[in-house]
Amino acid sequence: MNEAIHPLARKTVVWHLAVTSLVLILMMIFGVIMLMNQGEMISITPQWFYKIMTAHGTGMVGIAALGGTAILWYFLSKYVKLNPAILIVNFVLFLTGVSMVLIAIFVFDFSDGWTFLYPLPAQSAKMYGAAGAVFFLSGMLVLGFGFLILYMYLAARLTAVYGGLGKALGWDIIFRGKKGYGPPAAVVATAMVIITNSTALLAGATVLAASLVNIINPAVTMDPLLAKHLTYAFGHIFANCTIYMAVIAVYEVLSEYTKRPWKANKVFLIAWNCSTLFTLMIYTHHLLMDFAVPKWMLIIGQVFSYANGLPVMVVTAYGALMIVYRSRMKWDFASSLFFLSMFGWVAGAIPAIIDATIVVNHVMHNTKWVPGHFHTYMGMGVVAMIIGFMYYFNKTEGNQEHRGIDTFTIALYFVFYGTCGLFPLCRRNQCTKKMVRTPAAMGAVRPGRRSQRNLYRSGRNHLHRKIFSGLRYVGSQVPYQKNQQLAEK
Amino acid sequence: MYQQIAMYATVFFVFLLALAFAFVYGESKRSGEYSTIQEKGYKIRKFYFLGLIAIMAFATVMTLGRLPYDSNQAEAEGLNEGKVVKVTGIQYAWEMSEETFKAGDKVQFDVTASDVTHGFGLYNENMELVAQTQAMPGYTNTVYYTFKEPGTYQILCLEYCSAGHHVMVKEIVVEPEGGASDE
Ligand SMILES: [Cu+2]
Repeated sequence: MNEAIHPLARKTVVWHLAVTSLVLILMMIFGVIMLMNQGEMISITPQWFYKIMTAHGTGMVGIAALGGTAILWYFLSKYVKLNPAILIVNFVLFLTGVSMVLIAIFVFDFSDGWTFLYPLPAQSAKMYGAAGAVFFLSGMLVLGFGFLILYMYLAARLTAVYGGLGKALGWDIIFRGKKGYGPPAAVVATAMVIITNSTALLAGATVLAASLVNIINPAVTMDPLLAKHLTYAFGHIFANCTIYMAVIAVYEVLSEYTKRPWKANKVFLIAWNCSTLFTLMIYTHHLLMDFAVPKWMLIIGQVFSYANGLPVMVVTAYGALMIVYRSRMKWDFASSLFFLSMFGWVAGAIPAIIDATIVVNHVMHNTKWVPGHFHTYMGMGVVAMIIGFMYYFNKTEGNQEHRGIDTFTIALYFVFYGTCGLFPLCRRNQCTKKMVRTPAAMGAVRPGRRSQRNLYRSGRNHLHRKIFSGLRYVGSQVPYQKNQQLAEK
Repeated sequence: MYQQIAMYATVFFVFLLALAFAFVYGESKRSGEYSTIQEKGYKIRKFYFLGLIAIMAFATVMTLGRLPYDSNQAEAEGLNEGKVVKVTGIQYAWEMSEETFKAGDKVQFDVTASDVTHGFGLYNENMELVAQTQAMPGYTNTVYYTFKEPGTYQILCLEYCSAGHHVMVKEIVVEPEGGASDE
C-alpha cells in the first residue's frame, strides 16, 4: 500500500503529460482554424480543412488516452508495483504511431477522418495513392498495439495482486457477500478499462488490418456494415475509456483534499461493473441510422445508452458532490478543475443520452449536436481532469522540469476554449441557426444561395432565441457558403 | 419536434445539474460530519435514482413505439400509395430515380451507395432535418417520408465521405398539391 511511484515511471509520466500538453495546444489551434474558417475570418481549402479535421479528431482522442494513461499509472503505482518499462514502451509506440499518422495527413494528404469508415480509406488510396491510407492505418495499429501491451501487462499485475480482474472489480463482494470494501478506486477503474479497452483495441485492430489488406489486395474485401460495427466498437469504447482512466485522479485527489475516504463500497462496485458491461454494449448507438442492423440491437443501443448514464450520475458525480459537501475543502486549481470535470462529464453525457433515443437520432444523427456533446465531455470532462492532474502532479512531485509548460497550457486552454465558444456569436445572423439542423462534418462551404437566404431568414425569425442558441453553440459554427464554384460543381 | 424537445430537455437538465453543483460549492465552505452527510446523502440518492429510472422508463415507453424503422413503414404500406424512389450516393452526388414530387406524396426512399458510406439527410425548405438514413455500399436502407409542405427540399450528405463531402447536395422540388398536370 501507498508505495511511491518508480522514479523512472515518474519521469515517463512527465513525458506523457508534456506530450499531452503540446499536442493539446496544437489541436486547439487546429480547432480554432476550423472555426475561423467556418466563421469566414480566414479561408482554407476544403482539402486542408478535412486534413486538419482528421488530425484534430485523431490527435484529441490520442492525447486523451495518453493523459488518462499517465493518471492511471501514477495512482495505480501506489497500490500495485508496476514495471516502468511497459509505460516507456507504450510511450515510444505512441510517438511512433502519432508520427505515422502525422506523415499520413501532412505528407500524403490523408483526410478520411479519425473514424476511417471502410471502404473510404481504400477508395482514397485508389484516387490519391496508397501511402496516406497505409501510413494512417498502420500508425493507428502501432498506437493501439502500444495500449494493448499496457493493458495486458496491467491485467497480469492485477491478477497477481488481487487474484483476477473479477476480484479487482469486487465480484466477491457483489456476488459472494464478502463484507467490507473492495480494492481502491484506482484498481477498480483499471480493471474496468482493461476489459473494455482491450475489447475495443482488438475490434480496432481487426478493422484496421482488414482495411490495410484490402488496400494492398483489393480482391480481399470485408462487409462494410461489419467494418462499421468494429470501427465504432473501437472508437466509442476507446474515447469513452479516456474518462474512466482520468477519473481516477478525481477519486484520489478529492478524497485527499477533503480528508474523507472514497471507498469502494458495494454500490460503487456495482456501478463500475455496470459501466463495464454497458460501455461494451452501447456503441450500437452510432449505428441507429443503419436500418439494416437488426432492430433489437438498435433498441439495446438506446436502452443501454440511457442506463450507462446511471453509474456516473448516481454514483460517481453524486459521490463527488457528497464528498465535497460541507468539507471545508481547499479550492485550488486542481480541486476546482476536478469538481468542474464531474459537472462536465454529466453535462456532456446528457445531450448524448438524449441523442441516443432513436426517434431523436433520426433527426439529429451526425448534426452539430454531436460535436457539441463530445466537446463538452472532452473539454470540460476529460481534459479538465488531465489539466487538474498536471497541477496536482507538479505540486506533489516537486519541481518538475515541465512546470512552465503546464502553466502555459492551463492559461492557453482557458483562453482558447472560451474563445471557441464566442466565435459563433461574433459573426453574422445565421449564428442563431440551430445546431441540430447543421451537418457535423460540413467543411468550409455550404452549397446553394437558397439555403443562404434561408439562413438569414431563419436568423431573423429566431432572433428572440438568440441567447439560447448561443448556449447551444459552444464550440461550433454554422457552415457558410463561400465557395460558390465548388458548390455548383 | 424531437429537435426542440431534445434542446429544451438538455437545457433543463444541465440547468438542474448546475444548480446542484453550485449548491454544493456554496456549502463546501461550511463543515459537517461526513458520516451524517453520507447517511443522509444515501437516502436522498435512493429517490434520485428512482426518479432517473422513472424518467428513462417514460422516455423509452414514449419513443420505442415510434421507431423510424417500422412505424412509417406500416403507415406507408397500409395506405399502399407510396412512391418508391431509388437513391444512390456516390462521391459526390446523389442519383435518384425521381426528383420531383407533389405535396402529400408518401415516398419510400430506397437508399444505397455505390462507393463509400454516405448519409442521406433530407432537409425541408427551412433547412430542418426531417429524415435520414445511412447510405451504405452493399445495403439498401429504406426510409419513408410524407411531403406535407410544397417547396424545395435538399438532400445533404450526413456522413463524411472525403474531400467533396460538402458539395454532395441535391435539390428536389415538391410542387403544391393539385398544381401539377396529371390530376
Ligand atoms: Cu457523401
